[in-house]
Amino acid sequence: MAFLSTEHLSKNFGNTVVLDDVSLAIEKGDIFGILGLSGAGKSTLVRCINGLEKPSSGQVVYQNQIISSNSVVPESETRKKIAMIFQGFGLLDQRSAIENVHLAFELIKEDKVPLKERRAYRAKLHDKDRSQSLELLKKVGLEDKAKAYPAELSGGQKQRVAIARALALKPEILLCDEATSALDVQTTEEILNLIKDLNKELGLTVIIISHQMSVLEDVCNKVAILDRSKIVEQGLLSDVFLNPQTPIAKRLIYTGHVATKLDDDHYIRLLFNGDVDSPLISNIVEDCGILVSIYFADTKVIEGKVYGQMIIKLPYYQKDIAKLEKYLTLKQVEFKEVGKDELR
Amino acid sequence: MNFANLGTATLETLGMTLISTALAYLVGIPLGICLNITSKNGLHPQKVVNLIIGVIVNLLRSVPCMLLIILLLPITRGIVGRGTGDWYTMLIPLFVASFPFVARMVEQSLAEVPSGEVEAIRSMGASNGQIIRKVLIAEAKPSLISGTAVSAISILGYTSFAYDFAAGGLISSAYSFYNNHTGNYLTYPNVWVIILIVVVIVQLLQEIGLYIARKTDKRRVIA
Repeated sequence: MAFLSTEHLSKNFGNTVVLDDVSLAIEKGDIFGILGLSGAGKSTLVRCINGLEKPSSGQVVYQNQIISSNSVVPESETRKKIAMIFQGFGLLDQRSAIENVHLAFELIKEDKVPLKERRAYRAKLHDKDRSQSLELLKKVGLEDKAKAYPAELSGGQKQRVAIARALALKPEILLCDEATSALDVQTTEEILNLIKDLNKELGLTVIIISHQMSVLEDVCNKVAILDRSKIVEQGLLSDVFLNPQTPIAKRLIYTGHVATKLDDDHYIRLLFNGDVDSPLISNIVEDCGILVSIYFADTKVIEGKVYGQMIIKLPYYQKDIAKLEKYLTLKQVEFKEVGKDELR
Repeated sequence: MNFANLGTATLETLGMTLISTALAYLVGIPLGICLNITSKNGLHPQKVVNLIIGVIVNLLRSVPCMLLIILLLPITRGIVGRGTGDWYTMLIPLFVASFPFVARMVEQSLAEVPSGEVEAIRSMGASNGQIIRKVLIAEAKPSLISGTAVSAISILGYTSFAYDFAAGGLISSAYSFYNNHTGNYLTYPNVWVIILIVVVIVQLLQEIGLYIARKTDKRRVIA
């Protein structure tokens, strides 16, 4: 029996089917990735897991207990075991970082605390130094920002606070709903590394949903691909990513690779002043053996002659670039290198 | 009217405005919360409850203030002993005229709290009561405070009706003065002094409200 599973989970909003018979099995300690385009139903899926959304049919089973279904809403105690972080962070703007973490302790109902631990609980709650919360901020590497308000924090720092807050309730599962989608590449990597560390250190089971392959491939051990409400592939990361079967899986996985290499491309602007009359692009491919693609073009043909400009893209290989530049000079085509900042 | 009476009139106006505002908020806050959480996308959608409160609030808001004062005369008499003739007889009508407005203001302020914050706290297993206290009210605080200033200013406007019920206050004084000196009332300083005091009170309410709201709001970066 899996640690956490969804069994034939379906959800519709009115006539729109958002999840269709989704069955997933997640083991303790997994970092489970769910990949899909926007609108595929990923968010709804994780929201059904912790009961923010009520499944239309099917159920979520956690440690052999149905925790969420059409008739079962997760208990407050179950929700505390399944923490969640969001794309929008969900921090309270009027509370400092440390008070945001402390909020987690405030939510524990005193009568739910076992009698023996009540004294310790009260001490924690009324601790002026907030030492427990500070400890958690330390864990996410943010103790020096304890007094800062969310408005004073960067996106990555906000997500760290959100993670610290999520950890306060000692969860067993961490759901990440596009948690890095609002962050830049480097911050994303930092947050993913933090999640990876927490997974190792605390044995935290993690479910990450993302539309970016690059996010999942570094951290997950298992993945599922969700396409138009259905799970189309599911398994070990290596199996799914190295050998995608369905068209959507191929598309998601290969675009991801192209996107990560984009930064290594070289862009050249060609200027046409009516002098070039041969099919230039195919000549480049044939004569130089360099695969170029057209990134942008704005040309006009006036009286059979070409005027305007075109930006072509080629992989960043010093040798190829030198070769191409020589070729263009030979052909008397005016060209200029395009800076990265010009393209965005 | 002499200047000694001005002090009394000012106190009457302040008393009517501030006490009615306080009473209106006493009822308006719980009602606003109810309207917010029972709405379609609220914490605890309750179509019928939302509809009933909404209809009551809208009905009361659509009765002109003057009419409301007249309708409430027996109730006012029952509660404070007399229906007209002193500043405190205006408290109940002003309260009834303004709490529906306040309820809508509170509802609006709470609605401005980002749904992501509510959701995040809900996912942590918070009860609705905890969400109302720790998220909705706490996060809407600056907006609730500036809203209070706006409400108090509009209630101050309602105190004009005090003239018709001999209930005193600054605006009544101005009107009485006009009645006594119809032809040349603007040549006396009295009316101008009253205008000045009213303007100062309004500005103070506005500025104090904004100042406190700004002070409590942590959303702007303090560089």
